[in-house]
Amino acid sequence: MIAAVEPAKVVPEQSQANPIETLQKTVSASRLTTFLQCRLKFYFRYVQQISKPKTPALHVGSVVHLILQAWNMARWRKQEFQLEKFKKLFEEGWKDQPPGINWDGEEAGEKNTAWSVLEMYFAQTPIKATEMPEAVEVPMESDLSKYGLPTLIGVLDLVRAGGRIVDFKSTGKTPDPEDAAHQNEPQMSCYSVLYREATGHQESGRELHHLVKTKTPKLVITELGPMTAAQQVRLFRMMESYVEGLAREDFVPSPGFHCAGCEFFDNCRRWA
Amino acid sequence: MITLECNYQKKLGLPGYSSHQFAITLRTEIADLMQVQAESSRLYKLLQEGVDTSIKETGYLPTNGNGNGNAQRNSREPTREKDGWNCSGKQKDLILKIVEEHKLEKAKVEGLAQDRFGKTVKALNKLEASGLIEELLEMTSQSNGRSRFQGRYQRAGAR
Repeated sequence: MIAAVEPAKVVPEQSQANPIETLQKTVSASRLTTFLQCRLKFYFRYVQQISKPKTPALHVGSVVHLILQAWNMARWRKQEFQLEKFKKLFEEGWKDQPPGINWDGEEAGEKNTAWSVLEMYFAQTPIKATEMPEAVEVPMESDLSKYGLPTLIGVLDLVRAGGRIVDFKSTGKTPDPEDAAHQNEPQMSCYSVLYREATGHQESGRELHHLVKTKTPKLVITELGPMTAAQQVRLFRMMESYVEGLAREDFVPSPGFHCAGCEFFDNCRRWA
Repeated sequence: MITLECNYQKKLGLPGYSSHQFAITLRTEIADLMQVQAESSRLYKLLQEGVDTSIKETGYLPTNGNGNGNAQRNSREPTREKDGWNCSGKQKDLILKIVEEHKLEKAKVEGLAQDRFGKTVKALNKLEASGLIEELLEMTSQSNGRSRFQGRYQRAGAR
């Protein structure tokens, strides 16, 4: 089924090639999870490439990730921890925002929250200042053609010493461990596949580090074991669905609770 | 005489991301063309029943959940490239290209690999080589004026 929508602002990034053909060649965790959440959202974002203004939460997340990346890189480079250096980088990163973010008068508050959550993380993280990462923000790929699947691509936030894959999340709500494990399973399984392909051995574990932006910020770490065989099967079945769905151009909407925060809500309402 | 050759095969997915398939080929002779349709229908039914009866027996199933033998790969390093490099060919080419284009001292790059990974550049696996490449790009992009934020956001877009 081909989704018919009104012409919108299209980013001509992949205009030379057929976007569907490009998407059939490679898959990332975010493409896969978007496709699984709502195929029409996937269509708007990746096939039509409709550009939407960044949300405040996304900007906060980007800057928080930027600082955590710098902190991980500093340990990797055996540099001394200097909070003021990260604060300076934070200020620069905050200013480096695309136009169009609708702060609704809350920018200063959001900025304070973002920095507070980072200060909390530096104080509470179980990662010691002397712990050398195995990898920080490295792009990786895994050729899955032997399974009839596209090449998997992705960027790992952090691999701790001994092969523990860490993904950082900033969130407004305290996550439930089981929900977090379930909701992030496709993404974390993708990372396991990438790690195993790149190193030739199994990860020792996986961790979700949720930086919770509550009034008093807190850190919730969800420890996951290595990817199980059943989880790998589930991931590959999801990828099969992705491949087959793209081939059929099956881009139907999936109305549900997740629509409340969807940037394509208006586009979806007009879809027929 | 007219020879009629029929083949019927079926492939089934099995648990553990494995599959099995079975095919039967049968050759028979018929006296005239008028018999083709009736005979092919009869043979199709016969072959399908034969395949379906046999394919129900799944036989050995991998216990590691992966019919492609990946579980055995978990404890070994990736296959070395023929020329001694442990990373992918693309990574090797990119490392050499960066070194050449920016006239980096090979000893310095080797020193970086030893410092971060305790290995020679050639011995780096794909994960480590990816880290080295990012570091080399960061080192060399400073002179090109590449914004550190650009790098972050460009990569984020590729997620």
